[in-house]
Amino acid sequence: MNELINIEIPMALRWQFGTGRHFSRFIQTLRNEGKILGIRCPQCQRVYIPPRLICGNCYREMAEWVDVKDTGVIQGYTVYYHPILDPVTGEPRPIPYGMALIKLDGADTTINHYLSETDLAKLRIGLKVRAVWRSQRRGFISDISHFEVIQ
Amino acid sequence: MPRRVAIIGTGQTKYSKERNDVNQMELVYKATTKALDDAELKVSDLDAIVLGNMELFEGRALPEMWCGEGAGGYLKSVTKIATGGTSGSSAAIAGFYQVASGVFDIVVVVGWEKHSEGHTQTAMAMVDPLWDRHVASGAVGNFALSISQLMAGRGITEEQAAKVTVKARRNACRNPYAHLQMPDITVEEVLSSRMLAHPVRLLDMCPQSDGACAIIYASEERARTACRRPAWVKAVATRHEQPYLGDIENRLIIMRTLRAAAKEAYRQAGISQPLRDLNVAEIYEPVSYAELAWYEALGFCDEGEAGKLIDEGITEMGGQLPVNPSGGVLCSNPVGASGVIRVAEAAIQIMGKGEERQVPGVKTALAHGYGVYAWADVMILSSELG
Repeated sequence: MNELINIEIPMALRWQFGTGRHFSRFIQTLRNEGKILGIRCPQCQRVYIPPRLICGNCYREMAEWVDVKDTGVIQGYTVYYHPILDPVTGEPRPIPYGMALIKLDGADTTINHYLSETDLAKLRIGLKVRAVWRSQRRGFISDISHFEVIQ
Repeated sequence: MPRRVAIIGTGQTKYSKERNDVNQMELVYKATTKALDDAELKVSDLDAIVLGNMELFEGRALPEMWCGEGAGGYLKSVTKIATGGTSGSSAAIAGFYQVASGVFDIVVVVGWEKHSEGHTQTAMAMVDPLWDRHVASGAVGNFALSISQLMAGRGITEEQAAKVTVKARRNACRNPYAHLQMPDITVEEVLSSRMLAHPVRLLDMCPQSDGACAIIYASEERARTACRRPAWVKAVATRHEQPYLGDIENRLIIMRTLRAAAKEAYRQAGISQPLRDLNVAEIYEPVSYAELAWYEALGFCDEGEAGKLIDEGITEMGGQLPVNPSGGVLCSNPVGASGVIRVAEAAIQIMGKGEERQVPGVKTALAHGYGVYAWADVMILSSELG
């Protein structure tokens, strides 16, 4: 009668999230044309990826769309040796894998993405990288499979 | 003008990997009753309850309904705050507001988490579903990316980070509530522990803990009659920014939110030289490297000098400014409680109830909360009302 019991509840769910006009245009262009769009704040001139209605810093609405390249520069990096569950698939990610904060050419913010390079001796801040696209695009950041070092 | 407010009692449970001897509501009850005992109050003395909890970690909605009664919330005002790692410190600040505003005289703040029940790392990666989530990697990964910048930009070394871990886990041995206590830990042991995401090793990271912590606030009049040595709240500041991970440039180096919160808190408290004016600090360091980043953002040192603080033992027990006598988040991390623990431990130091972890003669103490990518809370407590 003194046993402490833990109850287990498994759960499988689907969610859907509205993206709004700005994000919808961004992911449609990404999916249909393989192009990355940023958006510029009329006040601070910062170019944001992903595009959104307002610049939170200036609290101004944004409407100036700009083309951003699929090349960029590593701003921070790591190599993972510890598997975590992928929050989209729920499956463990294979290890090791490289990851970087990348500032795409033409943008002022960075994106978080995978690197094909996992040799730490070959990674450093400031390296140029290029996106490697998947053959099928769906309008997610994962349409880019990973980035490869080009310099 | 806000009313003057003091902390007059604290209550903590033992933090550990799994507390399946209590459910969440019972855990909240344990911390609340200990705080009531410490303040020599009855549950009927409580005017309102503020809770801090990240319910997504346990996958259990409406914790304020399920657990509010454990905090004495029957037929009273119960609110809940959830802001990631800052949940506890934000709840502590919200509780302060309730008394400072004159609305309530006695308020209990209870933070808790039972990480053993859920999926913390996956929940932490369940960020923005539109964009970041597809490449999210939880707390370890996000820190690792920023730490590469901190090392390159500030010359922080793996050995200096390891010294932070050693300090924390040894300090924790003097804290009866701490989860990880490692009296014999060495820098070499930290540096040879398993690599999670370069340069973050297993022993650089906080644990996931079960536990709860409560603090009780009182208005000036009630604090004077109820408590011999209250911990007066001299300053509170909270700063948030930016929706996406990539919006924040050189996060650990620049740390705009923490710099802004610290500046405002020091202004309120009349502190011009934190290293000299503070007697103890309880800061929220989920990873060893973060503590070194916070030293600079909190103004404990000049730009690029954080490594020297740990090398020279300035933040050790017995140093000029002991940081985390409790062992900090590196030793106990029930997330919703962790920010409350920082405030409670700062109050304990002021009240002189720290027992083996007491820093002698504490008059001014800082408590800090950190959440999500950049959110920051700073609170300053004092033995003097003035």
